Amino acid sequence: MAAGDRQAFALFYDRHAPVVFPLILRIVGQRADASDVLQEVFWEAWRDAGRYDSARGSPEAWMVTRARTRAIDRVRATRRRSETFVAPLDDIVAAAPGDPPGDAAERAEDRGTIRSALDRLPEAQREVIELAYYVGLTQTEIADRLKQPLGTVKTRIRLGLERLREVVKARA
Amino acid sequence: MSHEPFDTLAATYAVGALDGDERAEFERHLAGGCAACEATLRGSAEALAGLARSGPPMLPPPEVKDELLRRIAATTPGRRESARPRPLVWAVGTLAAMIAGAAFTGAFVASRYEGRLGQMAREAAALRERVQRDEAALRDQIAVYRSAVDLLRDPKTQIVTLHGLAPSPEATGRVIWHPVNGGHVFVANLPSAPPGKAYELWTIADAAPQPGGVFQVDALGRGTHRLPAPEGGKPVKVFAVTLEPEAGVAAPTGPMVLASK
Repeated sequence: MAAGDRQAFALFYDRHAPVVFPLILRIVGQRADASDVLQEVFWEAWRDAGRYDSARGSPEAWMVTRARTRAIDRVRATRRRSETFVAPLDDIVAAAPGDPPGDAAERAEDRGTIRSALDRLPEAQREVIELAYYVGLTQTEIADRLKQPLGTVKTRIRLGLERLREVVKARA
Repeated sequence: MSHEPFDTLAATYAVGALDGDERAEFERHLAGGCAACEATLRGSAEALAGLARSGPPMLPPPEVKDELLRRIAATTPGRRESARPRPLVWAVGTLAAMIAGAAFTGAFVASRYEGRLGQMAREAAALRERVQRDEAALRDQIAVYRSAVDLLRDPKTQIVTLHGLAPSPEATGRVIWHPVNGGHVFVANLPSAPPGKAYELWTIADAAPQPGGVFQVDALGRGTHRLPAPEGGKPVKVFAVTLEPEAGVAAPTGPMVLASK
């Protein structure tokens, strides 16, 4: 793909878009917005393919990282507009998916989203990772929202990621 | 400062939640080069990719791919730049492959046909040698015939008949003989001499036979031999052929196979 091969790009897209698209949709919430972000993510990947370094990770991780970043960019831009004109941050966070009642497995089933690996994490760890990774809150915002010390938030994130690495490795 | 706090910062950074001074501090730490943090970030990115993969895949609207392929086909100048060298790269690659292929083919052909060419060369040399040998033989033969014809034109030349004796009674021979110039002996139906043996010619003028040289016959029993005139110029009364050691002897020892009387 770095060589600019269009056919390779089509294969690359077919392989990674079905994984990346639900992630973007999960973050931005709207299918139209998700499609826009998806297109930008792959367009930039095509443009930056020469910069991809296989020593630094798999192509999938590269694409997932870029997709998450672009999706959060989109959400934050929307949120800024929203803040300017309408809603306070807490309303947006409250409206964001991630904390309906019921146990984790049940919620995952209800939503049919990409949370299955995350559901293997203790609730406290899952919660902070969701707020950071899908909602795009910073550690300070999470601490405020959960009314927890900053150190606790960071520790939960770290433990949650370590647990996620184990879960993903066990699945692979 | 121990590295442990950076492990926590790395994890928080990996989910994009690190902010404020800590974020700046961690980025400085990372810029300074930290294999441990890079490994943490790499592992976290793979885990988050695994998380994305763990859910059910979802096909995006087909227009997204169509639009992307359309944009790529309409390549921006930047894209075209990186696309342009491709034919050159392809050409260079092809050329290199052709050169390598030609070298390989050349080596292959050489190794394949070297033996055959060598064999042909050896065959040609053998053939040339044989032709030269045949030519020499023909020249000798022509010289003999010419000499014989010249002798036959000479009134002093006589033709002496040789008769087969007991060992090979069917053998025959003629001697074209000139008392001064010597002559030629032609034999037929004479069996090939056994290994280590040859036929030897004798001229008898007085008492003792004079050796006239040795000869062999061909597969058909034919032989030709140049017979010089005997020393002293005395008239030859008898011509005889005996079977002797192939180097020839001074006086006959073996059986007589042909004689003129």
